[in-house]
Amino acid sequence: MNRSFFQPARISRDLMILPNDEYYRRRYRKRRGGSWLLLVVTAAAVLLAAVGARATESDMTPNANGADGVSINDTGSGDLLFRGGEPGRYIPAIHLGTKVAVKVRGLVAEVNIQQEFSNTSQDWQEAVYVLPLPENAAVNGMEIVVGERRIVGKVREREEAQKVYREAKAAGKRAALLEQQRPNLFTSRVANIAPGEKIAVEVRYLQTLRFDSGQFSLRIPSTLTPRYIPGNPLPQDSEVAVNAHGWALPTDQVADADKITPAMMPMAELARNGSHKMTLDIQLGMGLPLVDIFSPYHEVSFRRETGHRYQVELKEGSAAMDRDFALHWRPQASAMPSAALFAEQAVKQGEDAEYVQLLLLPPVSGDASPNKLPREVVYVVDTSGSMSGTSIRQAKESLLLALARLSPQDRFNVIEFNSNYRTFYPRPVVATGDNIRAARDWVESLQATGGTEMAPALREALSQQLNDEAGELVRQVIFITDGAVGNERALFELIRQRLGETRLFTVGIGSAPNSFFMRKAAEFGRGSFIQIGDLNEVQSKMRTLFEKLENPLVTDLEVRWPAGMKVEAYPKRMPDLYRGEPVRLVARVDGKMLGRAGSGQVIVSGRLAGKRFTREIALDSLRVDNEGNGIGSLWARAKIAVLRDEQQQQGRLSGTDGAEDSLRKEILQLALAYQLASPYTSFVAVEETPVRPTTEKLKSSPVPNAVARGQMLQQQTYPQTAVGVYGQLLWAMLLIGMGALLRIAHRISGKLGALRVHWANGLRRYLRRSVPDVRRRRNRLEARLLLANTGKGK
Amino acid sequence: MKSIVRFGSLILVVAGLWQLGGSAWLLAKAELAQYLIANAWDRQLASGTPHKPWPWADTWPVAKLQLAQQKPLMVLSGTSGQALAFGPGLLESSALPNDSVQEARTTVIAAHRDTHFRGLAQLQVGNPVRLQGADGSWHLFRVNHTRVVNSLRESLPVYAERDLVLVTCYPFDAVDAGGPLRYVVHASYEPGAASVQL
Repeated sequence: MNRSFFQPARISRDLMILPNDEYYRRRYRKRRGGSWLLLVVTAAAVLLAAVGARATESDMTPNANGADGVSINDTGSGDLLFRGGEPGRYIPAIHLGTKVAVKVRGLVAEVNIQQEFSNTSQDWQEAVYVLPLPENAAVNGMEIVVGERRIVGKVREREEAQKVYREAKAAGKRAALLEQQRPNLFTSRVANIAPGEKIAVEVRYLQTLRFDSGQFSLRIPSTLTPRYIPGNPLPQDSEVAVNAHGWALPTDQVADADKITPAMMPMAELARNGSHKMTLDIQLGMGLPLVDIFSPYHEVSFRRETGHRYQVELKEGSAAMDRDFALHWRPQASAMPSAALFAEQAVKQGEDAEYVQLLLLPPVSGDASPNKLPREVVYVVDTSGSMSGTSIRQAKESLLLALARLSPQDRFNVIEFNSNYRTFYPRPVVATGDNIRAARDWVESLQATGGTEMAPALREALSQQLNDEAGELVRQVIFITDGAVGNERALFELIRQRLGETRLFTVGIGSAPNSFFMRKAAEFGRGSFIQIGDLNEVQSKMRTLFEKLENPLVTDLEVRWPAGMKVEAYPKRMPDLYRGEPVRLVARVDGKMLGRAGSGQVIVSGRLAGKRFTREIALDSLRVDNEGNGIGSLWARAKIAVLRDEQQQQGRLSGTDGAEDSLRKEILQLALAYQLASPYTSFVAVEETPVRPTTEKLKSSPVPNAVARGQMLQQQTYPQTAVGVYGQLLWAMLLIGMGALLRIAHRISGKLGALRVHWANGLRRYLRRSVPDVRRRRNRLEARLLLANTGKGK
Repeated sequence: MKSIVRFGSLILVVAGLWQLGGSAWLLAKAELAQYLIANAWDRQLASGTPHKPWPWADTWPVAKLQLAQQKPLMVLSGTSGQALAFGPGLLESSALPNDSVQEARTTVIAAHRDTHFRGLAQLQVGNPVRLQGADGSWHLFRVNHTRVVNSLRESLPVYAERDLVLVTCYPFDAVDAGGPLRYVVHASYEPGAASVQL
C-alpha cells in the first residue's frame, strides 16, 4: 500500500536529470539584467519628459503671471493664505465704489453714502459688506439704486426684515438689507446682482457735529480695525453657520463675533482691481464765515460760495478706503456766537411737537490756574497685535509726551496690556525724574503683539488708586488704545461699576479706531476723548488733552426750561465739561411753544472754578423750521442710546429679561416711529419683480474691508515652507520598488513550478539520508527471517 | 493575467519615475537658481538697478543672507510658491532693515526646509546672521531664540522693530509637506555692526 507513496524513491537519483541551483541562478541573473536595462531606459525617458514639461511650464508662467490671480496649482508649493478666504491670492468677486455726499446745516451733517457693488464674476451674487459708520449716526434711510430706478427701503423689526429679505433673495428679486451690529458697525447685504451688473445701495444718516475748543469736526469712517474677540468659542449653531462671512467664531463674551469681523484685505490688492475708492462732496452751509478748513488725513480742496457756503472735495478726486476721513473747521473768532439754538417742527402727521438743538459755550477760566491740584494718573497703553505698525508708534509718542508733562507733586503709573497686563510699578509712584526716566525706557521697549484682553487691565487701572487718599488727589486714567474689541458693552459696565472718583480719558489711536468705544468709555468714565490718526497729530491732540486734564471743569450744570413747558431733553443729566467742550442737548417740546411771544427762556447754570455762572437764551425770537426732520431723528437716536445704556445697567443688576423687555419695546417703537435703524430694527428694500431665473444659482460673497493704513493684516499666516522633496523621493522609491517587485514576482512565478520540484527533491534526498528506510528494514528483516527459516528448515 | 501585471507594474514604475523626476527637478532648480541669482545680485550691486536672474523670472533678488558660517543664500522678493522654489523669500508685508526708526519693521524670510533652509536647524542661539541689503551694506543680527509654532493658531510676528525672523517648516525631516508646524528663528538687530563689508 505504501509503495505508491514512496514510488519515486525507487528510481535511482543518478538516473534522473534535474536542473541544479547553479542553473537557476545563472538563468535568472541573465533575465534580470535585461529587465533592469529596460527600467533604466524607461526611467531616463520619463525623466527627460518630466524635465521638458517643467521647463516649458516655467517658460510660460511669466506671461500668464500678471494681473491674474495665482491658480490653485501654483499655490500648492506655497503662498500667503488668508484665513477665512479661499486659498491663494483671493480676488473678491464684488468690487466696491463709494460716493459720499455731505450737507452740513446748523449743527447737523446729513450724510448720503452711495455704495456701488459691481459683480465681476460669472455668477449671480449676494454681496455682504460690513459698513462702518460714525458712532452717533442716526440712520434714517436706505435705497437700492439700479440705473435710474430707486427702490426705497423701509424700517422693519429685525427678524421680520430678515425674513422679507430672505424670501426676496430666494425668489430672485433684487433686495437689500441694512442691519445694525454695533452703533458704528452695520451689515449691508444686496441680493441678486446679475453677472457684470452694478447695483448701488444708498444709506442716509444724520450726525451731530463734534465741537471742541472752537473747532467743528466731522468724521466719516471707511474701514475698521479688526476687532479682538475675547472669550471661548461657542459651539456653532446652524443659524450662524449659514450666514457666517466673518472669520471669528462667536464666543461666550461676544455672541455676534462673526458679524463684526469681516474679511480684511490689504488696500494695495484691492486697489489693483480698482475697488474700494471713495469720492467726497461736502457742502458746509453753517451760515458762518469759516477759517481753517482742513483734513488731517486727506488732501482736500475747498471753494467758497455765496452766503458763507463752502464746497469741499478731495484733491485727487478719490481716496482709498483705508482710513477715516476727518474734516475740521473753525468759525471766525468774531463770528462765533456763544450759543446756537435750532428748532424744527415735527413733520409727522398727528404729532404736535417741536425739537430743539442747543449748543452753548461755557465761560473760560483764565489760563494756567495758579493752584494746580496734584494728580494721580494711571496710563494704560494697548500693546495688542492690532496696534502694531504705525499705531504703536503713535501710542508711544503720546505716552512719552504725557509722561514728560507730569509735575513733581503728581503720582503716576503705567500699565500695558495685550493678552495679559503688566504694571510698571505695583502702585502709583511720585513723578520724580528718575521714576519718569525708568518708565520712559520701559515704554520705549514695548512691542505690539497678542490679544486685546481689556477687561483685566481696566479693572487693574481703576483699582490702582488707594481709597485712603481720596479727596487729596485728582484721579485720572488715560487709556491709549485703538478700541479694537468686540465686547464693548461689558467694558462700559465695568467702567461704570468701578469708576469711583476716577475720571477715565480715552486716546483713540490709528487710522480706523473704534470711535464708539472711545466716546462711550469716556462718557461712562466721566472724562473726555481725543483721536490721533497720524504721528504728526500727536503733539497738537495731546495738547488739547492736557488742557482738559489740567484745567478746572464746569460742574453742576443745570438746564431750566420755562414753567409749563413739557420737555424731554437728552442727555438727562448734564455731564461735567472739560476745557473747550460746549453744553449741548437735544430736546422734544410738546405743543407749539417755541418761537412766539411769551415762549420764555432757557436758563443754563453751572459752576466753574468755584464761581457760579448763568446763561439765558430767549426762546421767543427762535425761528422754527417747518421743513427739516433732522433734529427729530437725532433726538430719537439720543433717546435710543440712553435706553440702551439703561438696558446695559439693568441687565446687569436684575439679570431677568422683564425690564429689558419693556426697554426693548420702547426702543423698537421709537425706531419704527422715527424710521431709524437700531439694534432691533433694520432697513429692507425689495424690488417687486424677480430678475434672477430660478435655474441660476445665487452665490454669497463677502466684500472685504481694506486693512487700515499703517496696520498689518493680522490674520496673516505663515507661508508654506516645504516642497516635500523627501516625501516625493520616498514615493518615487516606493512606486518604483513596487513596480519592480511586481515584475520580478511575475517572472519568478513562471518558474516556480520547476523550483518546487527542485525543492521537493532536495527535501526528499535529505529525508532519505536522515530517516531510516522502513521498507529496507522490513526487507532485511524478512530476509533474515527467511534465512533463519530456511536455515532451520535446511 | 500576465499582461495586467505587466501593465500595472509599468504604471507604478512610471509614476515612481515621475515623482523622482519631480523631486530631482526641484532640487536641481533650487541649487542652480541660486548661482544665477547670485550672479544677478552682483550685477545689481554694481549697477544699482534690479536685474532679473533669468529673462523670464517673475522675482528678483532683494538681499543676501548668511546663516552663521554657512554658504550665503540669495533672498528673493515674495514668499509665493514660485519664489520659494528658487530661494528664500522676503515676506511682502515685512521690510528689509533700513536706517529710519519710523519705518522700522520686522524682516521675515521664509524658505523650504528641504532645500535652502536645511541649515536652519544647525543655527544656535548667539550665532550671527548677516543680511546684505540692496545698497550693499551688511546688517548683523544675532539669534536670540528659536521656537516651534503652530501656524494655524499664531500669526506671523511682524512688528515695528528691526528684527529678523527666519521661518521654515517643522519637523525638518517630515515626509509630508503640508504640516501646520513652523520653525521660527528670531534674531535681534545689532545696530553698531551695520555696513560691515565682507
